[in-house]
Amino acid sequence: MIIEKMIKKIPDYAKQALVISILLSVFLFLVMKKNSRMETDLDKYMPQNHPAFVFSSQAEEWFQIRDGIIIAVENKEGIYSPHTLQKVKDLTIEIQNIKEIGKDDVTSLYTAENIIGSDDGMTVKSFYNQTPQDAGELDNLKKLVRNNEMVNGRIVSQSETVTIIIAKINNDLYSEQLYEKFQQIAEKYKGPENIYIAGRPIVEGVMAKLGPRDMQKMVPVVILIIVFTLLLVLRSVRAAFFTLLVVLLSTVWSYGLMALFSIPVYSVSTMIPVMLIAIGVADGIHMYTHLRHFTLAHPEAGKKDAVLDMLKNMWKPVIMTSLTTAIGFISLVSSEVYPIKYFGIFTAAGVMMAMIFSLVLIPAGIMILGLPHWKARPEESKTSLFDRILGNFIAEKIIKYKYATIIATAAVIAVSIAGISKVWINSSFLEKFEKDSEIVLTDRFINSHFGGTSTLNVVLSSETEGAFKNPEVLKIVDSLQQAMEKKLDFVGNSFSLADYLKRMNKVMHADAEEYNSVPAQADLIAQYLLLYEMSGDPDNLWQTVDYNYQKLNIVFQLKSDNSKSMHALLDEIKIWLPEFSSRGIEVKYAGSGYKSLVFVDLILSGQIMSVLISLVMIILLLTAMFRNLYIGLIGSLPIMISSLTSFGLMGLLDIPLENTTALISSIAIGIGIDYSIHFIERYKNNALEFKDKKLASLLTVNQTGKAILFNALVVIAGFMVLLLSAFPRNRNLGALVSLNMFTSLIGTLTIMFLVMYMSNIYFKKK
Amino acid sequence: MKFLFKIILLTGLAGGFYLVCQESRLSGLEIIDKVYNRAAENDLKSTLTMTLINSAGQQRVRKIMQFSKRYGSDEKKIMFFVMPADVRNTSFMTWSYADQTKSDDQWIYLPALGRIKRIASDSKSDYFMGSDFTFDDLGDRHPGKDTHTIVKTEIYNNEECLVVESRPKETGYMYSRTVTWVIKDKWIDIKKEFYDESDSLLKILTAEEYSLVKNYWIITGRKMHNIRKKHTTLMKLSEISIDTGLDSELFTERMMKRGM
Repeated sequence: MIIEKMIKKIPDYAKQALVISILLSVFLFLVMKKNSRMETDLDKYMPQNHPAFVFSSQAEEWFQIRDGIIIAVENKEGIYSPHTLQKVKDLTIEIQNIKEIGKDDVTSLYTAENIIGSDDGMTVKSFYNQTPQDAGELDNLKKLVRNNEMVNGRIVSQSETVTIIIAKINNDLYSEQLYEKFQQIAEKYKGPENIYIAGRPIVEGVMAKLGPRDMQKMVPVVILIIVFTLLLVLRSVRAAFFTLLVVLLSTVWSYGLMALFSIPVYSVSTMIPVMLIAIGVADGIHMYTHLRHFTLAHPEAGKKDAVLDMLKNMWKPVIMTSLTTAIGFISLVSSEVYPIKYFGIFTAAGVMMAMIFSLVLIPAGIMILGLPHWKARPEESKTSLFDRILGNFIAEKIIKYKYATIIATAAVIAVSIAGISKVWINSSFLEKFEKDSEIVLTDRFINSHFGGTSTLNVVLSSETEGAFKNPEVLKIVDSLQQAMEKKLDFVGNSFSLADYLKRMNKVMHADAEEYNSVPAQADLIAQYLLLYEMSGDPDNLWQTVDYNYQKLNIVFQLKSDNSKSMHALLDEIKIWLPEFSSRGIEVKYAGSGYKSLVFVDLILSGQIMSVLISLVMIILLLTAMFRNLYIGLIGSLPIMISSLTSFGLMGLLDIPLENTTALISSIAIGIGIDYSIHFIERYKNNALEFKDKKLASLLTVNQTGKAILFNALVVIAGFMVLLLSAFPRNRNLGALVSLNMFTSLIGTLTIMFLVMYMSNIYFKKK
Repeated sequence: MKFLFKIILLTGLAGGFYLVCQESRLSGLEIIDKVYNRAAENDLKSTLTMTLINSAGQQRVRKIMQFSKRYGSDEKKIMFFVMPADVRNTSFMTWSYADQTKSDDQWIYLPALGRIKRIASDSKSDYFMGSDFTFDDLGDRHPGKDTHTIVKTEIYNNEECLVVESRPKETGYMYSRTVTWVIKDKWIDIKKEFYDESDSLLKILTAEEYSLVKNYWIITGRKMHNIRKKHTTLMKLSEISIDTGLDSELFTERMMKRGM
């Protein structure tokens, strides 16, 4: 074979190979330094041509729907003090002067318009221009706020101790600098009042800032742990060095290629180094382990002989296991979500580079520096206790209690499937943070005083011009809002055109509470709206309805951005759909919260697809490799079981699927299959050599058991580093991948081994 | 002889130069004052067609019958909506006063409510009926509230224009400055640029049509384009009649209710 011929030449060109590899890597490193760019605009993460996103973007433009940064000012003695009110005014003006924020985009008690009614008229006024100083003025202001339900509970809390300033901002203008600016402003105005900042842009800002930093922090830890494990397993500094060099270079290539193709680094891609380092060392471990066995068995052999023997025996499994790992990642290309697609492509590329470097640099290293100095340890001449446990105890017991093993496996699968039904997807941004982190606490604080920091926009559209001047329709909208607020306790508030009309109707009837309702006459509605246009700021109106009254925007404020809440609200709204559809009105949704929901659903559906693709590809690959379909199926048993158990466990432990945890199965399938390959390869050789099923089985468990155990240990150790992450989802990822490795390992040594044993493959002719 | 001729010529030139200087010595304030007081008609009846166009190109058309009458430097104005049908006969009355300490009186009558309400608003920067015009933009702002300087003269739309920059004397006004192109001799503000607090161009007002009616230059077509909001308002005056001696009885609450 060509590959084999090429590989055999490696020892002769050791220096050249090393120099070329290093030079190319340095080149890519420079490209990476120059071109690498982190993508922080979360809208860029979503597929732009998906109908839900297209519609949401349109609606965002129609109604100026944008995420708001919320600045809360708390005075425990009450906000109606000259000092606090002055602070609100100063803060408002300072925020209005920020370049990226329009003057009209800031809402606070200082900017809000107060529509008040009296017997003979109506006035539209600011709540205050000059900060009220004496008790009478302050008391008057307090009364004005209490009487205006468009402000009371929305801008000033019912407790009258907190008031908020909302700054709406276009997503594409949001930047880390702006986030810093808000932090500085909050710091500057602190004391004696408490200043809090919250809102989705802030959460995203913290995420964008902490996420990559968190991963950067973990890279040296992973390296350290891997070095330690490598030294322990390989027992040679030289061997550990070259194995590490392989993974470090492959990481450089992965990012370098990304930069070369001008693909930005998305937050998922920050996990690549940790992954490649943990996964990439497997080739090195297997190659050096083989080399060690060879040199101990043949102490007289020269380095070239040793290297050639290593390459001859190892190139196939190395390529094979790397291919399967790469398949796991490359299957992510089927995702509609670009960051995941690119994560898959470039991690797969990194895996393939790790394979090439293992086959080139490890032999080159041995040729240049010589063989590692291994000494045979006394216990190794005999079968160690460890090996005996593996070979005799486990293998024999499993053969002996085969039905128990099968039943146990079936039980695990059954429990897992039960768990899977409980798996839920979470698109929450906040729940990516620690429960007691500042950002979560701030959010909870604001939610406890106001309607909620998360929003859902319900967009109604009709073919008929003026449809949303129709009192009948507006009354349904009003009832819908009230029903949701009453029924779902996480819906804190809602807002629509109906609220404006109710306010106008009340004001025009001398503030009489019984007129706080949508008027019944269409003409009156039209006339109120005209009046509002004449006396208020019509731009406020255009955030709730479109120019021709054919589209209406209802805003629900939620106290949680958790997908469960969002789905509960969507389900409740669904009940109302016939009311609208019978009047020719279509109901759709918009806003960043809804987009996240759709986005995560997409990630999941893409995930199921890529798991299926990688399973099929791996079965085919195994079948081709061992020229037997049964082997393909049997070999993939452990990864199927481990995928099931990891999803099952997520359901049972209430760990939601997120964009990172959803990647687990692809990662686990690609890596977990390696154990099957090593096992089956050895089993086949033993079977052909000894022609005795039981002996072959015991020997195989004995021989490969240790190697794959080591392999699993290294990967588990690498991924366990993620437990140090500041983000719960990364910790979940680390724990779940580690668990997956463990179940794959156990699955290989128990049920797969047993099925293999019972299937009589390789013993049929007897 | 030659010498005398030269003297005469020089004197003539000097005189001409003097006159030119006189002309341009007209201060910025005087120019804007002339614009402010241009339409000095006693009363005016007209139909206003207001077309609002949003950034998506959607249009809304409103037709209003309006009457106004001067009482010295005070003014009374009454408007009746003709179109669209659902606001027909909604009427709006304003009494505005030259006395800057006195705020305007405003009333609205909503036929569906059957009641007249006084409306008060604490800001003159309110937009006029959802248009891109504020009341100030419509010519209500007294020249004394700003300081005016002549920037240049320029030919605009084949008319010789004096360009005047006006900066508000008060702080916190919605515009940091406005720049007005005034047609010399006609004292028509043919173009006006409005700059926001951060001194970026916010709106452009252009006079699209103007005609001489009974010796007064009346702007019959105006266009205001809000650059930031990408929103445009067209205002067209038609069926104009001037100084017909409108009855003062017209500007009362009773008339508001009666409609047209």
